[in-house]
Amino acid sequence: MTTAVPMTPRIALVTSDPVFAHGVDLTAVLIVVVKVLLAFGLLLVSVILMIWFERKLISDMQNRIGPNRAGPWGLLQTLADGTKLLLKEDLLPERADRVVYRLAPFLAAIPAFLIFTIVPIGGAVHILGHTTLLQVADPPIGILFLLAMSGVGVYGLMLAGWASGSKYPLLGAVRASAQMVSYEAALGLSVVAVVLVTGSLTTSGIVGSQAPHVWNWNVIRLGIVPFVVFLIAATAELNRPPFDLAEGDSELVGGFHTEYTSWLFSMFYLAEFMNTISWSAIMVTLFFGGPDGPVFHVPVLNFLMPIAWFAVKTFAFLFLYVWFRAALPRFRYDQLMNLGWRYLIPISLGWLLVVAGFQISLAVGAATFGAAVLVALVLPRAFAVGKARHEESGGHDFDRVGG
Amino acid sequence: MAQYLGIFVMLVLSTLFALVSWGMSRFAASQRPTAAKEAPFECGIVPAFEPVERFPVRFYLVAMIFIIFDIEVVFLYPWAVIFHQLGRFGLVEMLVFALAVVVAFAYLVSNGALEWGPAKRLRRVESPLVRTTASTVRKVPSSERAA
Repeated sequence: MTTAVPMTPRIALVTSDPVFAHGVDLTAVLIVVVKVLLAFGLLLVSVILMIWFERKLISDMQNRIGPNRAGPWGLLQTLADGTKLLLKEDLLPERADRVVYRLAPFLAAIPAFLIFTIVPIGGAVHILGHTTLLQVADPPIGILFLLAMSGVGVYGLMLAGWASGSKYPLLGAVRASAQMVSYEAALGLSVVAVVLVTGSLTTSGIVGSQAPHVWNWNVIRLGIVPFVVFLIAATAELNRPPFDLAEGDSELVGGFHTEYTSWLFSMFYLAEFMNTISWSAIMVTLFFGGPDGPVFHVPVLNFLMPIAWFAVKTFAFLFLYVWFRAALPRFRYDQLMNLGWRYLIPISLGWLLVVAGFQISLAVGAATFGAAVLVALVLPRAFAVGKARHEESGGHDFDRVGG
Repeated sequence: MAQYLGIFVMLVLSTLFALVSWGMSRFAASQRPTAAKEAPFECGIVPAFEPVERFPVRFYLVAMIFIIFDIEVVFLYPWAVIFHQLGRFGLVEMLVFALAVVVAFAYLVSNGALEWGPAKRLRRVESPLVRTTASTVRKVPSSERAA
C-alpha cells in the first residue's frame, strides 16, 4: 500500500468569530453582549410563538379551532398561560428532596439556552469597525459543546423524577435517562459523519464548508442516511412524540414532571420548546447549509437574506416536529430500544465508515460499502446463533427486577 | 478563550432569568400548602404503596452498553477531524476498531441484554400439535371427557 496522499482539509481547521481578531477590547465585548441579549430575546419570543404555533397547527390537523381568545388568533395565549403559571402555588411534595427538586428545572432550562449560542443564524456583518458572525459564540469545539449540553439536559429530567419522591415521576425519569442515553450514541455517530467531511468542529466551519451550492449540503453530500438518523435521534433526545415516553401521559400521568407546579413546571415546558427550536436550528446547520441559500441582491437588505433562509429552513423542521406529534402514535418501550440499538446505531456506524471510505477514493469506498453490507447481512444471523447457544447452555435470563 | 465569552454571558443571563422569574413567582403566588396538596400524586386518592425502591436492572445494563458506544464516539471525533491527514491508515485502523465494537455488541444482543418485557421468560410448550379447536379437544381423550 502506498503512503497516504497528503490531503488538506477544504477549510481551515479552526475558524472562529473574527470579532476578536484584534484582541479583546471593549467594543468587541459590547458586541458579544448585544448578541447575547438579541439571541436571548429571540429565543423567548420564538418559544412563545412556537407553543402557539404547535397548538394551532395540531388543532387544524385534528379539525379543531385551538386557542382563539387571547389576542388576535389566540397569539397571546402563551403569555396568558405563562402569567397564570407564575401566579400559581409552588408546592413541594412531602417526600421530595428539597434541593434537588428545585435544582432540576434549572438544570433543564439553562442548557437549553446555551445550545442556541453556537447556531449561526446569518453571515458575517460589519459593525463599529468589527466584523462579526451572526452567532453568539463560535468555540473551536462547537459540536462537542452541543453534545455536552444535551448530556447535561438529561440530568434535569432524571433528577426531577428522582427527587419528586413519587412513583410516576421516578418511572418517567428512569425511562427518560435510558432513552436519551441510547439515542445519544446514534446522534453522536451521525454527527461524526458531518465532522468527517468538514474536518471542523466549529459550527461556522461546518456551515462554511457547505457553501455555495445546494448539492454541497451535508444532507446530499453524506447520502441521506446520517440526516435521517440524526432527525430520529434528535426527536428522541427532545422527548417529543413519538418518543415522549418520559412523559407518557396515558400511563405515567405526566412522567418526570408529574409533581411539578407553577413556575418550576413552566421551566421544563420552556426548556422543551427551546430545545425543539435549537435542535431544528442545529439540524439546519449540520445538514442543510445553515444560512446558505440563493441570494437575490437587494440593496441595503442584503445581509437579511441568509437570515431569511435560516428562518425558513428552521421553520420547516418546526413544522415537521408538530406534524410528527399529530400523526404518529407513541412507541412502546421495547420498540423504542430496539429501534435505537439494533437499527440506528449499527446503521450510523456502518454508514460513517462507508463515507470515510469514499473520502479516500471511489474504489476504497465501494470496498467499504461491500464490507458494511456483508456485516449487515451477517449480524442478524450472529444474533440468532448467539441467542440459540445462550439458551442451549442454560444461560439464565436476567431477572426483570433483581438482575 | 475569548470565543467562549458569548456562552459565558448567556450562562449568566439565563441563570439570572431563571432565578429572578422563579423568585417573582414565589413572591407573587400565595403559598398555602396543605397535606392533600403535598401528597404524592395518585389520581386523587391516598397512595396505598410506597414509591418503588427497585427498578429493572435492564436500565442499568443499557447505561453500561452505552459506555461502549460512547467511548467509540469519543475516539471517533478526533479521528474524524484529522481524517484527511490520516488517509487509508486511518480508515483501516477505524475499521478494526469498529469490528471489535460490533463483535462485542453482537455478543451483548445475543445474550439478551436488550430484551425487554416478560415474554422472554415464557417458553413455548413442546407439542407437535397445531392449536386449533380440533387439536385442543383431541388432547383430552374422549373417554375421560365428562359426559
